[in-house]
Amino acid sequence: MHPFFQLLKKIIQTGIGKSRLLMATAGLGIAMVLLLIAIQAHTNFNQLLYGRQNQNESADFLVVNKKITNAMMGQSDKSMFTAEELQTIKQQSFVEAAGYITSSQFKVTAAAPGELQFYTDMFFESVPDSFIDVKNEEWKWQEGDEVIPIILPNDFLNLYNFGFALSQDLPQVSQETVKNLPVKITVSRGLLSSQFTGHIVGFSDRISSFLVPAAFMDWANNRYGNGKAAAPSRIVIKTSDPANPALVKFLDDHGYTTNQDKIKYSKTKLIVQTIVSVIGFFGIVLLLFALLVFSMFIQLIIASCKKEIRLLVMLGTAPAQLRRYLLRQFVPLYVITGIVAVLLVAVLQWVAARALAAHEMVISPWPGIGMWIAAVVVLLLVYFVNNRTIRKYLD
Amino acid sequence: MQIQLSHLVPLPLRDKLLQRVSDIWNKEVTFSPGSFIKIKAPSGTGKTTLVHYLYHIRYDYSGKILVNGKPWQDYNKPALAAIRQQQVSIIFQDLRLFDQLTAWENIELKRVMGPSPACTPEQVQEMAARLQVTHVLQQSARTLSYGERQRIAIIRALVQPFQWLLMDEPFSHLDEENTRRAAALIAETCKAQQAGFVLTDLDDDVHFNYNVQYQL
Repeated sequence: MHPFFQLLKKIIQTGIGKSRLLMATAGLGIAMVLLLIAIQAHTNFNQLLYGRQNQNESADFLVVNKKITNAMMGQSDKSMFTAEELQTIKQQSFVEAAGYITSSQFKVTAAAPGELQFYTDMFFESVPDSFIDVKNEEWKWQEGDEVIPIILPNDFLNLYNFGFALSQDLPQVSQETVKNLPVKITVSRGLLSSQFTGHIVGFSDRISSFLVPAAFMDWANNRYGNGKAAAPSRIVIKTSDPANPALVKFLDDHGYTTNQDKIKYSKTKLIVQTIVSVIGFFGIVLLLFALLVFSMFIQLIIASCKKEIRLLVMLGTAPAQLRRYLLRQFVPLYVITGIVAVLLVAVLQWVAARALAAHEMVISPWPGIGMWIAAVVVLLLVYFVNNRTIRKYLD
Repeated sequence: MQIQLSHLVPLPLRDKLLQRVSDIWNKEVTFSPGSFIKIKAPSGTGKTTLVHYLYHIRYDYSGKILVNGKPWQDYNKPALAAIRQQQVSIIFQDLRLFDQLTAWENIELKRVMGPSPACTPEQVQEMAARLQVTHVLQQSARTLSYGERQRIAIIRALVQPFQWLLMDEPFSHLDEENTRRAAALIAETCKAQQAGFVLTDLDDDVHFNYNVQYQL
């Protein structure tokens, strides 16, 4: 240590409120641990939630419809979405994009070629092209095209293969085979009809429906529809976080419903968020108190050495020298406190990672970047507040 | 470093002082660098007040004190500290040592306060030996006699670099022999540092070869 500071140590006694300083330090330590745990728990939970679910996608899609209740049966207009409703949905912060699912207003029949004796009435729906996850060249249609690209729900193929085909003694088919099957599609209304070849271009998990390009749907609805623009009864939403409690609350409030599987995490998330927030809140309150006690301690030291400080300044001690000396009494204390808190959280994280690994849940054994940033921010905050206090009371 | 006084009058003594003739108060005075200046003053004419004005720890005056052409008020705290560490040293009339430090530490405090000490610890020991206070160096300043404290204060003022030394009755509690030794040490150190001093006292004396003498 600089010899001048050694002499200052004898003049400015910092041992005066040792117990108070100890309490402030302990408070700071506990506050930091709570805050860091809260942040780390948040990181871990996010990792658990999104690490497994959507590994390749940054967004998820929800198909939303109004709940069909007994009172609504037979009144299909009650399950329709108006333009205003779609607008309201689009304005929600958790909705990245939203679009109508347009359903066909004409009769559709499909027949499989050759020996597959397959003939069925069916329907089509379409969504804006940006919602389609089968992105390829084939996904387009324009007037005059003979071939209609179609996307089937994965579930549909499964139902056929494992339910229908086995029981009816029909051959099971692979996705590739289906893609190569030209399906005869007849679109009609009354006596008016057209023939197309349906070409399966992909399978989707997102939207459980038979999808055709929006261009075809518009054309066909126009030509074979009943002339009225029908209000759609399903809406597709693109969201980055289907477990967002705000999203679930919004759907509940408006009587909408969606694939419950996708939003099942929202309750867990809500509970974890609450617990984490409470811990974080206590951490912040405790941090504020620790800062207050630190400031009072500094004030006490300066007040108790007022005469000595005045004489030191009179003899030529620079204010910066006094400030540096006083900070030197505290800074090592916080740095050590900070390191201990970080180490403790790191150990907890490691233990938690091992414990969760036993249940096949993977979290990083190291604390996340958020925790490190928080630790540095807290230390900087303490330094800044103390520096200000010293500056204020020295003058 | 030049010090100029311009119509300096202490506000509390204003009426009293304006009735008497003074070489300093309400005059234009310039202290040129390196001069040995004696200011003689009867009690109650503002001797200590003047020293405190010159050291800028009292400010209740009218007129101006210009240091290198700039009034004291224009110097901020860090600049003032730098001046007190490197250009202006002082021996207070009431000494102002730290009771919680030893005599040695009191001297050391001033020696290591600035960026460049003016002398080594060995030189401090030498000075202490010359003023016959070696035996009290390790004692707490609290336990020293006033004469010993005065000599410690003198040494403390000499261990830093300075261009001006302000002294307020520096020998008031020293016998003739010690006064002679102290004056010789101060004169030598000032010469070595090419510094001047301002000394205030009640009576005439022959301790130094003064360049200028003023009557306050």
